[in-house]
Amino acid sequence: MAPMELILELTLMPLVAFLVGMMMVLMMRRIAAKIQRRVGPPLLQPLYDIVKLHSKRTQVSHGLIHDIGIIMAMGGYIAAETLLPVPGMNGIAEKGGIITLLYLMMIPSLGLALGVGQCANPNGSIGIARALTAMLAYDIPLVIVIFGVAYAAGTTNLVDIIAQQQAGGFAAWGAVEMPLLAIAGLIAMHASLGKQPFEIYIAPAEIATGPMVEMSGKYLGGLFVMQCFQLYTTSVLYVSLFLGGGSTWFDFLLKSFLVLAIPVSIAYLFPRYRTEDLLRLMWKWPVMLGLIGVAFVL
Amino acid sequence: MTFTPLDELLLFSGATLLVALILGRGLAAGWMVTILYGGQLLTLIKMAALGYSDTIIHASISFEIMGQSLSWRFDALSWFFALITVASALLSSWFSCGEWERSFKQQGGNVWLYHSAMALNVFTMLILLASGDLLSLFIGWELVSWAGFLLMAMAGGVATRAAMRYITYAMAGGMAVFGGIALVYVAAGSLQYEAILTAVDQMSSTQLWMLVVMFGGGFGVKMGLLPFHLWQAPAYAETPGPGSAFLGAISSRMGLFAILLVLVKLFGIVNIDSLKIPFTLIDARDLLAWIAVFTIILPTFTAMKQNDARHLLAWHGIGQGGYMLLGVVVADAMGGAGGLLHVFNHATYQAALFMAVTAVIHRTGTSDLNKLGGLVVRMPLSFMVLLVGIIGLAGLPPMNGFVSKWLVYRSLLNEGMPLLFLAAVIGTLGTILSVYKLIHNIFLGQLRIEHEQVKEAPWSMMIPMLILAAIIFITGLFPGIPLAWVASVQEVIGLPATDYTLGGVESVSGSLDMIWVIGVLFAGFGIGAVIFYSAGRSKRVHQLDNYAGGHFLSADVRYQYSDNFYAGLMHLIGGWYRSSFLWLEKSVTSLVDFFSLVMQGLYRRANAEFYLLSTALFVIAWVVI
Amino acid sequence: MNEHLVLTIALPLLGAFLLPIIMRSSLAMGVWIGPVILGYGCWILANLWLHGNEQPFSIAIGGFAPPLGINLYVDAMALLFAFATQLLGLIFWPFRLDQDTPKRQALMLLLVASSTGLALSGDLFNLYVFYELVAVSTFGLIAASSSSAAYVATIRYLILSGIGSVLTLFGIALIYAQTGTLNLAHLAQLAPDQLNNDLGLAAFLAILIGIGVKAELFPVNTWVPEVYATAASRLSAFLAGLVSKLSMLIILRLLLLIFHQPEATQVILILGILGVISGEFAAWRAKDMRRMLAFSSIGQLGVIFIAVALPDERGVLAVLALSLHHMLIKSGLFMLADHWGGSLERLRGIATTSPLAAGLFVLFALSLVGMPPLPGFWAKFTLITELAGQTDPLYMIGLLVFLLATVIEASYLFRVAAKMYQTKPTDIVRSNSPDSGSLSLTTASLFGAGLIAATVMVSPLGDGLQAIAVQAQDVDLYIQTVLQQPLGEGQ
Repeated sequence: MAPMELILELTLMPLVAFLVGMMMVLMMRRIAAKIQRRVGPPLLQPLYDIVKLHSKRTQVSHGLIHDIGIIMAMGGYIAAETLLPVPGMNGIAEKGGIITLLYLMMIPSLGLALGVGQCANPNGSIGIARALTAMLAYDIPLVIVIFGVAYAAGTTNLVDIIAQQQAGGFAAWGAVEMPLLAIAGLIAMHASLGKQPFEIYIAPAEIATGPMVEMSGKYLGGLFVMQCFQLYTTSVLYVSLFLGGGSTWFDFLLKSFLVLAIPVSIAYLFPRYRTEDLLRLMWKWPVMLGLIGVAFVL
Repeated sequence: MTFTPLDELLLFSGATLLVALILGRGLAAGWMVTILYGGQLLTLIKMAALGYSDTIIHASISFEIMGQSLSWRFDALSWFFALITVASALLSSWFSCGEWERSFKQQGGNVWLYHSAMALNVFTMLILLASGDLLSLFIGWELVSWAGFLLMAMAGGVATRAAMRYITYAMAGGMAVFGGIALVYVAAGSLQYEAILTAVDQMSSTQLWMLVVMFGGGFGVKMGLLPFHLWQAPAYAETPGPGSAFLGAISSRMGLFAILLVLVKLFGIVNIDSLKIPFTLIDARDLLAWIAVFTIILPTFTAMKQNDARHLLAWHGIGQGGYMLLGVVVADAMGGAGGLLHVFNHATYQAALFMAVTAVIHRTGTSDLNKLGGLVVRMPLSFMVLLVGIIGLAGLPPMNGFVSKWLVYRSLLNEGMPLLFLAAVIGTLGTILSVYKLIHNIFLGQLRIEHEQVKEAPWSMMIPMLILAAIIFITGLFPGIPLAWVASVQEVIGLPATDYTLGGVESVSGSLDMIWVIGVLFAGFGIGAVIFYSAGRSKRVHQLDNYAGGHFLSADVRYQYSDNFYAGLMHLIGGWYRSSFLWLEKSVTSLVDFFSLVMQGLYRRANAEFYLLSTALFVIAWVVI
Repeated sequence: MNEHLVLTIALPLLGAFLLPIIMRSSLAMGVWIGPVILGYGCWILANLWLHGNEQPFSIAIGGFAPPLGINLYVDAMALLFAFATQLLGLIFWPFRLDQDTPKRQALMLLLVASSTGLALSGDLFNLYVFYELVAVSTFGLIAASSSSAAYVATIRYLILSGIGSVLTLFGIALIYAQTGTLNLAHLAQLAPDQLNNDLGLAAFLAILIGIGVKAELFPVNTWVPEVYATAASRLSAFLAGLVSKLSMLIILRLLLLIFHQPEATQVILILGILGVISGEFAAWRAKDMRRMLAFSSIGQLGVIFIAVALPDERGVLAVLALSLHHMLIKSGLFMLADHWGGSLERLRGIATTSPLAAGLFVLFALSLVGMPPLPGFWAKFTLITELAGQTDPLYMIGLLVFLLATVIEASYLFRVAAKMYQTKPTDIVRSNSPDSGSLSLTTASLFGAGLIAATVMVSPLGDGLQAIAVQAQDVDLYIQTVLQQPLGEGQ
């Protein structure tokens, strides 16, 4: 591949991710509005929000690490997008593979955790403690799922995994071949988004929105950007693993939005779990499903 | 007579020990010893060809004692471990020079003993690494055990108790190995490696089982494998700062070295694989793998509950040993490479972490995680080193720990071992939780009043820490550098060598190129920074200018979340900490105590022998007549 | 030259009888007699060692050739132990001057004479006589410590030892009744025919248990802790270091020459194992240094018994190596106990006040637990390779017990060592008199130096012991030496 082309891909992939991510945020809000019988925000509302947050006048910083944390939170996802193939663009997916992607996706959480820590607010720290606990909860089924898929495909290379599914048609889709893993993956994915009923680390009524308690202006803006990326990455990863990726942009986006619509719709119907209930739930059903699924794969 | 490079190395090391013994009380002793470690490192570098090829360098001395010949030599395996040993000794010793030494002396520490014990440890480790037959291996093994004891016990008090516990475990391990050596000697008729290699093929599976248990158990004690792990954390944690950095970096890896040499190279993974456990589906190799993953999980989650930074790190040291064994036991190209590479990586970040914590102790006088906080504004460089270290320990990109763990995961994936894979990942997740607690409780959150005047660690301590941080990052960026050595080690111990590139590994089932991954990661950070800084200027506020639910904060309000950090998690899993191993250890101790009581009672009974003798007399008389 | 050998027994014996008389007239002269006699004995033996040819020889006493007459049998093993006896006698010579001095020194000479006799004697009855002499002189010496605890201990020891003697005599009588001879060489000749039966076994067991009293054999060693803990440390050192080894030597000789029944070795093995277990476990809780050493000594002797039960010459080698090593170490440790005295609690932080002694303790302890490259390691290495080579599972148990015991031993020895190096010394006043302290420290240093020398020269030492073991193992050589040259050296 020509270097120029690669650089173009590496630039475009995060950009696309950002745009699609903003649309996903919009969709999320619209679904919430529908469920709550509201009208919902206009098309460009996410963009307005980001711009607004970044141009606020009061920007309270608690120190350098606070800043760096936000940068890491955004930068980690920007990097992760280049490992996630989209139709026509593979970026450096072949140089990393799915395990690397999984671990790169932890970098933003780490950055956020550092930044929040620097804020010296116990609410934030409790939020991070809960967020990390939640990660421990949902990553276990997620890892089982990823093991199953990668083992079935015989590779950790996402490009190959997608190519195999597309070559076999609908019958070769991960969701068809490994339905149990697909279900487990969906639950784990839902939890990883941190939406209700799994929003233990935001919990506005308990810990004053946890990690976000000391965030203002562009700090919150950074987190907003991060959320766009997070929605995008999660749903695209799921699509790549189980729904054959996207051969064209149309079906790629369609699948991604549909996949995301499921947890988001569920989210607004439920209240919040307690931390230990989240752990118990995550370690019981999806793990069981995942392990049975893996047993079929082996 | 000409000296081989190995002779030079051993002589240099012996000279270091002598200098420490003779001049260790002097003013510049630390610097002298450090320079000598540097010399050892140079001699090692002279032997660098070992790291890239399958050659052997012999020592000129050898002995013939009671029909046993003893010889010493270096190959890629020894060289790899020796490099880590000497480098960590060099940096730990450097770290201890100057300010740390002075404050240690002020607190009543014995600097002479510290330098001598360190030099002795390095010397004995090199002897162990150079062993050319099983007997010299055992000699080295015992020497290392006792040298370690010296370093661990020197702080007195709690440290001595921990060291006592260590030496009991180490003795038990040593005796298991001793018994194993006797069995090998009988089976092979010699203790030379070649003879054993040929004899292994003729051994019955019972024999091999016994040997695997005795050697595996014996060496496993030093590695802190379950269930022999209890001694390690307190013993390492209570050692004086730089000493704990050194021990944490390499000491327990001597166990892995011996396992590699005896179990993997001499007995062969294939032979171990053929040892089935009756009535179950698993064999000896699976057993080792499961021991390895339990060694990963349990100590890691124990670490999470520690409230002392040094203990937390030491517990992680045990857990990380599990990854090394796991990789080696999986024994394909990637697993072996991952396990071995992790030895190197772990040494770098563990030393850096212990040093950073020691720097904090040096400045604040405590390592209690509930008595620190907010130090990042006072000790930013130490924070950075600790951050680099914990990213390495947690195995996240872009640090080197990620690469070795990635290789281990990949090998488990390739070989289709989902449960082991899952367990390995659980260990990593637990590590992430635990290290965040570490960095948060020391450096983040609220700065305490008593620490407002704290200064950054002195440069004599800072430079070795920064060097280590640089190594952690560079070997994360170019894992090919250590992977080249690892590949030669793999060849020497008879495992398939991995196909490495400068940036990672090449494989049909998914490659890794860290140069690209780190490249895009930093590009991402760059873009993030551009977005962030292009927005308006932020205002720096005091830490007390904080949301407190309507209250006003003042300097004497404690506004830090540190104790019982993962309360929600502990709600669920708190009950799973049963301290079963502690209970086991206690029961063994009480059992010995009970037997001891019984035996003393036996000897105290005045007339027992009288009755016995008269009975004997009557019986014999009756027989005769 | 060879005839002078008799003097090593005769002179101390004579000295023992004359000493009290001479001392009464001239104290200055009397004081020197003992050391001079022992020094001369050492010189004779050393000379013989250096200039004698490799072959063993026999000396007939009283003009009758064996098997009719009694004889001394001198091979390298006997010579080695005789030399060790004289040397240790010299080292542990009771120099202290008070009103008991003549008695004590005379008894000591008697002890040395009879012990040398034990090492050299080639006749069963003679052995018994020397053995009794050893017992008698020991009683006297222990009682001479003149504390009430020592007195009680002596009585207990006396009873046990008496019964032991009776048993031994009984065993010897059985043998005599069966074969009509007590000469060891002659017995060795006759044994395959006449003693390879139940009767022989019974006789052996009687002798084993009888002599086992002094060799600290398991069930009949209950006197050990009390006696060692109450008697003077120098005497304990001599008893634990040497006398026990000489008794062991007799059992080894009998086993090699006469009793080849597998049951005999099995009994020894089992008792040895029990000795190891009981001794090491009991030592684990000991609160007093001497008592700890006494128990540890029981354990170590158990290990040597295990080695005795091993069949071929590597087994003998293990016995020799372990015995000599233990002789060196235990003597040194008892000297340290003498230097410090009393309970282990008082040793807290003692390393700051007497660093040399603490260092020596660590050195001895390391060698005792078999830390390479100290000689203890090589002794243990010989033992376990030999144990592992046996097919009988009982030996495997012996191996395991031995390994376990070593762990326990390391644990309690280093608990003491760690206590010594604790930073804060307690302010308990130490009561032992400075002069005896420094003397025993010097003695202990001597053993320490010996240990280090042995470490350096472990290779030639090993070869030497190997040769001794081969020679001791050779029954035919024994028979030939004693019986086929009736007119050789004897007359």
